[in-house]
Amino acid sequence: MMKMQYKNKLFSLRWTAVMSASLALLGLSCTKSFPDTNTNKNTISTIGPSTLPFLFSHAEDLATVNAGNYQVAQNLFADQYAQYFACEATYFPSDRLVIRQDWVGANFNPYYSGVLPALQTVFSSTDSLSAEHALGEIIWVLAFHKATDYWGPIPYFSAGKITTSVPYDPQAAIYDDFFKRLTAVDAILKTHAGANAFGAYDLIYAGDVNKWIKFNNTLRLRLAMRISKVDPTRAKTEAEAAVAAGVMTTSASDDGFIIRSAVNGDNNGLSIMSDWNEFRMSATMASVLKGYQDPRTAQFFVPTAASKDPTPGKFANYSGLRNGLTVDQLGLGPNLAAANSHQGPRWSSTGVTVGGVVVGLANYTSTPQNVIETAEAYFLRAEGVMLGWNMGGQTAQQYYELGITNSLQQWGITDATAIANYISSTNVPVAPGDYLNSPPVSTVPIKWSSDPAVQMQQIMTQKWLGLYPDGLEAWADWRRNHTMKLYPVANSDNPLITNTATQWIRRIPFLDSEKQNNAAGVTTGVTALGGADNILTPLWWDKN
Amino acid sequence: MFFLACSFLAFAQERTITGKISEETNKSSIAGATITVKGGRKTVTADANGAFTISAPAGNVTLIISSIGFATKEVSVSADSRTVDILLGVDNKQLGEVVVTALGITRQSKTLVYATQSIATNQLNEVRSTDNFLGSLSGKVANVQINQGSGGLGSGAKIVLRGNKSIQGSNNALIVVDGVPTLNPTFSTAGNDFGSLQSSDGASDINPDDIESMTVLRGASAAALYGSQAGNGVLVISTKKGKKGRFEVTTNSGIGFERAWAMPDFQNTYGQGNGGVLADSSQQGASWGPKMTGQSYTDYLYNKNTLTQQKDNVKDFFRTGLTVNNSVGVSGGTDKMQTYFSYTNNYAKGIIRSNDLNRHTFDFRIANQLSSKLSSDVKINYSTVIINGRPRTGEENSQVFDAYEMPRSLKTADALKYQAPNTFDVMAPTNWPATNNSIYQNPYWMLNNTSISSVRTRINGFVSLKYQILPWLSARGSANLDKINDQYEEKYQQGTLLWNTNSGGSFMVTTPAWTQKWFDFIVEGNNQLARDLKLTYHVGAIRQDVLYDVKTAGSNGLFVANKFSLNYASNPSTTQDGSEIITNAGFAQANLSWKDAVFIDASYRRDWNSTLPSPYHYSYPSVGASVLISELVKELPLALSFLKVSANYAHVGNGGAFGITNAAYNYVQGAGNGGIARSTTLNIPGLKPEIVKSWELGLEAHFLQDRVGFTATWYKSNAINELLNLNLPVATGYATQYINAGNIENHGWEFVINASPVKTKDFSWDVAINLSLNRNKIIKLSPELKETDLGGGDNRSALPTIKEGGAYGDLYAFQWIKNTKGQYEVNANGTPYTTYSSGDPIGFIGNFNPKELVGMTNTFQYKRFNLRFLIDGKLGGILVSGTEMNLAFSGITKGTEKFREGGWNLGGVDVGGNAVSATTNAQAFWQTASGQRYGVGEFFAYSASNIRLRELSLGYDIPLGKITALKSLRFSAVARNLFWIYRGSSILSIPGIGKRKMWMDPDMSNGNGNFQGTEYGAMPSTRTLGFNLKASF
Repeated sequence: MMKMQYKNKLFSLRWTAVMSASLALLGLSCTKSFPDTNTNKNTISTIGPSTLPFLFSHAEDLATVNAGNYQVAQNLFADQYAQYFACEATYFPSDRLVIRQDWVGANFNPYYSGVLPALQTVFSSTDSLSAEHALGEIIWVLAFHKATDYWGPIPYFSAGKITTSVPYDPQAAIYDDFFKRLTAVDAILKTHAGANAFGAYDLIYAGDVNKWIKFNNTLRLRLAMRISKVDPTRAKTEAEAAVAAGVMTTSASDDGFIIRSAVNGDNNGLSIMSDWNEFRMSATMASVLKGYQDPRTAQFFVPTAASKDPTPGKFANYSGLRNGLTVDQLGLGPNLAAANSHQGPRWSSTGVTVGGVVVGLANYTSTPQNVIETAEAYFLRAEGVMLGWNMGGQTAQQYYELGITNSLQQWGITDATAIANYISSTNVPVAPGDYLNSPPVSTVPIKWSSDPAVQMQQIMTQKWLGLYPDGLEAWADWRRNHTMKLYPVANSDNPLITNTATQWIRRIPFLDSEKQNNAAGVTTGVTALGGADNILTPLWWDKN
Repeated sequence: MFFLACSFLAFAQERTITGKISEETNKSSIAGATITVKGGRKTVTADANGAFTISAPAGNVTLIISSIGFATKEVSVSADSRTVDILLGVDNKQLGEVVVTALGITRQSKTLVYATQSIATNQLNEVRSTDNFLGSLSGKVANVQINQGSGGLGSGAKIVLRGNKSIQGSNNALIVVDGVPTLNPTFSTAGNDFGSLQSSDGASDINPDDIESMTVLRGASAAALYGSQAGNGVLVISTKKGKKGRFEVTTNSGIGFERAWAMPDFQNTYGQGNGGVLADSSQQGASWGPKMTGQSYTDYLYNKNTLTQQKDNVKDFFRTGLTVNNSVGVSGGTDKMQTYFSYTNNYAKGIIRSNDLNRHTFDFRIANQLSSKLSSDVKINYSTVIINGRPRTGEENSQVFDAYEMPRSLKTADALKYQAPNTFDVMAPTNWPATNNSIYQNPYWMLNNTSISSVRTRINGFVSLKYQILPWLSARGSANLDKINDQYEEKYQQGTLLWNTNSGGSFMVTTPAWTQKWFDFIVEGNNQLARDLKLTYHVGAIRQDVLYDVKTAGSNGLFVANKFSLNYASNPSTTQDGSEIITNAGFAQANLSWKDAVFIDASYRRDWNSTLPSPYHYSYPSVGASVLISELVKELPLALSFLKVSANYAHVGNGGAFGITNAAYNYVQGAGNGGIARSTTLNIPGLKPEIVKSWELGLEAHFLQDRVGFTATWYKSNAINELLNLNLPVATGYATQYINAGNIENHGWEFVINASPVKTKDFSWDVAINLSLNRNKIIKLSPELKETDLGGGDNRSALPTIKEGGAYGDLYAFQWIKNTKGQYEVNANGTPYTTYSSGDPIGFIGNFNPKELVGMTNTFQYKRFNLRFLIDGKLGGILVSGTEMNLAFSGITKGTEKFREGGWNLGGVDVGGNAVSATTNAQAFWQTASGQRYGVGEFFAYSASNIRLRELSLGYDIPLGKITALKSLRFSAVARNLFWIYRGSSILSIPGIGKRKMWMDPDMSNGNGNFQGTEYGAMPSTRTLGFNLKASF
């Protein structure tokens, strides 16, 4: 009996050993397929010439604020601070100057995690003298100027390296780099004049290099004007060089719009904002548009639902509300959504009706989205002339009127008489008739004034209209120039701003996420900022 | 002479008696019983099926059958008998429960070195949880927490044993059916409080009527052989199979009715309006209007109407749900072949009027003794589930939330006028008084003009062969397949807010599919090493291959309005994603027993996992011991009849996630040719496996001849090397990177008490009590990462945040500011001054996990009557109600009723500490506390403690009299969620109002993922009443 058990024991040990060894072999031999198994068949592991253009498309998509980011990157902040729209929803505090830090990162993060890796790959995979490389440089500047104009110092020269902290760079150095890049781009693109780069993968000009040359120089002119107070000499040099190199001159052929597809959420961001129905025409817009009897009004906004009259252009039917109303105020009749104007038909679905008539458009989600347009180039040149720059030989008034003309044309108002009538109109902004009984926002007429101080206000007011609905640029422009009048925000919930008549929001404080993930970097940012990290510290180019 | 010779031979020869040992009530076979011929020295042991063969002298003999847990029995076998079937009765003195452990290994529970708990099957298929069978485990097992995802019938549930361990992975217990982990994926669930589709999980397909036994292995040690995910504990389910020599048909039919329960407390005094004013023709849905006194006004449809209380307008939205379950099982077999076949139909109509479920389950199992040494076991299980009208969950435009948002004066008859044809004769939404007209819509529009339906086809089964190499050595191998094919269809008619932006409506088809292939080979042996020393061992190999694929096709926009077919897509978009994980494993396990009193277990497993970098493998061990002191020490006090102590330690590994060692670029459909985006998460070439280390100590004692049993278990687990998504400075070009780091500790106690206070011939009373407490601590995340969250980045109500030094489940929210003296600060206008408006960060308000779980089942038997009720309690933990936050903003909830006319002084101070005399009113107060969709979560946080009468069943065994065709017939009346015995209150006591009683059921979660602790538009839970009839033929 004992013997038997002993044998069993031996047997079992042997079995165990054999089994273990064979299992080990089994394990080893069955791992050959593992690298393949662990590869997602639906993704791409390496980028080559055939996939490179897709990266450029992606960079363009993100650099122009796509639908997924639009609300939190732009709409809840810049669009409201430029007073294009006022917030109708009670649950967004940003119109009362409280920054939701977890939202505003949408005008920062996608540029780094999306635009940057895409363009870095474009840069490293293309000849530095190629048109493709140059187009990448333009998109780079387009993206990062949006970021730096919110915060000031941002991670820039060290961005794209894997490390636990990325330092911030001063805005002056960043702008310097912008100019260097754009200058180089002009020279390179001119060697490719008439060529096509990226073809259909370029969502703005379908690869037309000639148009990109004008776009590039207009962007350079825009940035030159941005630094006109802080560095007038450099500004003049860059601006004159940009104009000499050729900026946009003709709407609509020169206008830069990004074409959205409505596929897979690739929508015009503003159209999606419109569906969410959370904001309305601002009182500032109401005062200006209604006062000017502006023909663009019917494009910018639709009559109020309460008016029940869908006829476009009946100015009495448009209404706006002041920025910064309290929750209580927003619940009152004159401030309700139905009592104020929804944004224009091209951003409105067929569900938007006035008096039972559909005023929206079926293809509203694929409405082309503004990037940079011709009108802006002319207003920049008008302002440049006012500053004594050589902007191509015409007068400030001529550029001002060309700006208006091109803007009206851009919005489909092509009738020469109508344009001429508008330009010669002495109309001034009116009291918008809002809940707070606001006075007219300003006394600036359309017709070119003889008073240089008024002229500057005219240029800036028309430029503000011309930039609509690009609140990112309009807010930066207003902070930089501070000539055009906006209403004081009705109520500030931000303890730093106690008097909205004399104080305004000048920047976005560094992101909480950056303080958590890149604390050392933010410290360098505060140093570079040269002031407290709050909404009151002006940016480098803001000398108001 | 011939006869003489024969009889002589017969006398001289020993004869062979074969038999089968079964349990006397349910006829299940009893493994491992010892059989001795009385007066002789021959002893044999019955096999796993209870079969034995023993040689005995000729003539009448008596066999003595003993098995732990059963009363020893003497059976006389007459001289001419060769076979004998023996039934053993349970002996409460011994508690020799047999449990199925990892990999289908059957063991006596007294020999185990870790804690297990079994659930009687009648507690699973009598009082059912309509949404998911997991719901019926609540309160019956110590330290198990179930949360039901709010997706209506058939939606996924979360089952957590011994606390949450994983931040980014699953915390769900592994569910093992017949030895193989069953697929339990949840395709879509809420990861934030905005909302989502809550899909089914795999567990919802399990048919409780096919369950033979269910054991819960709470600790990692018990489950170490399962590797991946076993760190979260395991539910071991064995399904029914045919039995030798017995033909039986069982039927189980039930009908249940359910009503919405735990709905918000509504105020019924003030009607539609704002600031106390009733506005004519108003489209505003807030209920801040005047008192409802029947006054006339022009309503939102421009009709003349009267303002009256509509106490039932929300209740009217729901219906009485119906569930009908019919199951028939046929079982039978010979010595050579046993067959089980069953068909079950579950039909249910949910409380949401469009929601219904129809499930057909077929189960077929056949076991064959192919030769004397080779046996087979084959099973096929097939089910189809069709679910219509799945409600979305969350704050978004969903049916339930829209219904809650109705003005308190809105008449159901008016709400039903939700649509009218437009000029193209397409239905368009009519005017609606929404509290937010960009998101909330008429609930009847959502109910009737949107739909989410799903069709699931699932097949699983196995072929298993066993070869008895030697009497003490066998080998078995099995091949298993589990395959789930789902098809979800979402339809949103033109005019549906949020879900349809382009003309014509929106349509989406999603087809997730999962396939698991599992192969195992196990050699099993046992040897008597010495007189008192027995060794049992298993050595084996497993290959598991889990493949996932999901395709979506859809269009936001249809060329022909409301034509829900891909043919009409005006903006077609398609996507595909998938993953595959292969795990190869080798393992060895040994159990050593000495004198049937001391047991030592050890196991070792090595995994080769395809998700890891080369060389792909890692190993982990477990070891444990238990001692039956009552077997060793005979001098125990009389009252103490059984005493056991045990200890164990285990490592369990988990390979990580699919495809994260590689860099990846994703294609994004869009304008032009679409784009390609680099993954914003940096890949981790050096991925390491996650490890859960666990310790467990147990004590089990029985008193008074086992009338009272007591088990205490202490455990501690540390989850280390967790796969974490660490934020990188985004300027690196990546938003996050994977790291292996962290240490999350859970420790706690579990107590199980079983007692039979009364036991007489006609009347008995049994009571089972489970009590557990779990404490969690985030000991470490990583040097770089001190804080992360479990989802919900938009922070609408509260954010479940993981912080070093904190605990899993800590909730952070905006708060009412208190100064250092503890006084509440108020604004100059008398409203609360909160961190929402001060710009301060969100603060800690509590933890969503209960601290203690208690369950008590009482069973009374009086003659043929049986009464069982389960009291289930969860103590501690908080829940934030985003629903109430949002509704309070609009003056809908009961809490907003007081101080409408003002004069409300909160007794607060200003920032300087000076008393503020300004008074506020309800509207200003609640609109400060809530910004509507986003708000100050602290005001709406409740202590989620609750005790309820969870289940009640009253059964009667109908006397069969002369009906010989029937073996048994039992009728029962059953109920679930009868009433609260206790429920918590809001954590803040608001001056003038005090604390508000919790109205919602904290078991109902927006989703069944790791994002928990907030309820925002979750379905009300339900109260069920039903009847059940079980018969066996």
